[in-house]
Amino acid sequence: MSPVDPRLQEALDGERDPGDLPADLREAYTRFIAAAKLLTATPRISVASRVMAEVRQEAAAAHRGNVARRLVRWLGQPVTVRLRPVWTLALAAGLAAVLLVPWGPNSGPTPGVAQGIANFVGHFPGARSVEVVGSFNDWSRGMLHLSDNDGDGIWHAEAVLPAGPHEYMFVVDGERWVPDPLAGRYVDDGFGAGQQNSLLIVRPVSAQP
Amino acid sequence: MVNDGAPDIEVVAQVLGGDGEAFGVLIRRYEPGLLRFATRMLGNPDAAADAVAESLVRAYRHLAQCRDPGRLRSWLYRITGNRCRSHLARRHTNDISLSDVPPLALADGSDTWAVLERGEQVALVERALAALPAEKREAFVLKHVEGMSYEEMATVTGARIPTLKMRVHRAREALLVALEEVVR
Repeated sequence: MSPVDPRLQEALDGERDPGDLPADLREAYTRFIAAAKLLTATPRISVASRVMAEVRQEAAAAHRGNVARRLVRWLGQPVTVRLRPVWTLALAAGLAAVLLVPWGPNSGPTPGVAQGIANFVGHFPGARSVEVVGSFNDWSRGMLHLSDNDGDGIWHAEAVLPAGPHEYMFVVDGERWVPDPLAGRYVDDGFGAGQQNSLLIVRPVSAQP
Repeated sequence: MVNDGAPDIEVVAQVLGGDGEAFGVLIRRYEPGLLRFATRMLGNPDAAADAVAESLVRAYRHLAQCRDPGRLRSWLYRITGNRCRSHLARRHTNDISLSDVPPLALADGSDTWAVLERGEQVALVERALAALPAEKREAFVLKHVEGMSYEEMATVTGARIPTLKMRVHRAREALLVALEEVVR
């Protein structure tokens, strides 16, 4: 393989005007550009219908998931209920009965056997918002926010997640994707540009001491 | 309903907002280039179609992970490039077998001799390209077939610009040698 004249390489890189090349190099330049142009023909195939069939299937599944999420959100929203006084009395009696039942020491929400508790902590002084996106929430924003109630720049969140490995990133101020510097483990994000996601391994409650 | 001329960033927002049909706009926009790239990488239109279809579905699933929707094109080429590399790795070689290179691709034209001559030229250049190692082939195709800048190529491949320049230069040397052999 013979090396190509650097002036020709420069012209092909757009760093030199091809008109300034000597005649033999200008001819090689023209021949090369013509050869490269032969490769620009677009194949007469399409995968659009195949891809859109998959997309529609996934969108329908996501829609079913959204309905469930909306229901959960609706159940968590405050509502105004107008009651007759007599019903109010009955409700108060029922509430009193519930309150008189003694609570066990672990009355808070607990993860299932195949779940564990994930703690997310990050130091982001001056940030207006911090959230976590990851494989556990389809990398969707707006689902798991960290809070910094005392304004010391240390943001916290806790979530019940299925046991096992989860990839995640912090999203700071709604636009900056940052790996967790405290994660300890990282994996390539699979898109080939050397970017890494943080890796968290959630231990099931059954395995915790 | 998003229109076909909307910027990528708007279309991506629409898709992430739950409008899966808007993804069709992105397919129409980038499918031809991705298919061309994958075909040149794999040397086989069927394998290229599989690689591009898998890449687009993957892109749809992980669209929320696209950190800069303004540079969606680079992101899609990156996913497709990875797919092609996996495909080549499954064949246990980075090179395209010459039998994978499509036969003469006859262009439209009324002059049969001109068509045949052009077809032979295409086959020759395709064979010279197929003989290159995958990473040089990828750099050459991104530069001279897809018309990318070295900066965008760096985003797509994850390689440094001087490395990419070297790969493109080596690929050109090989192709120019092949072309000179025909002229002789």
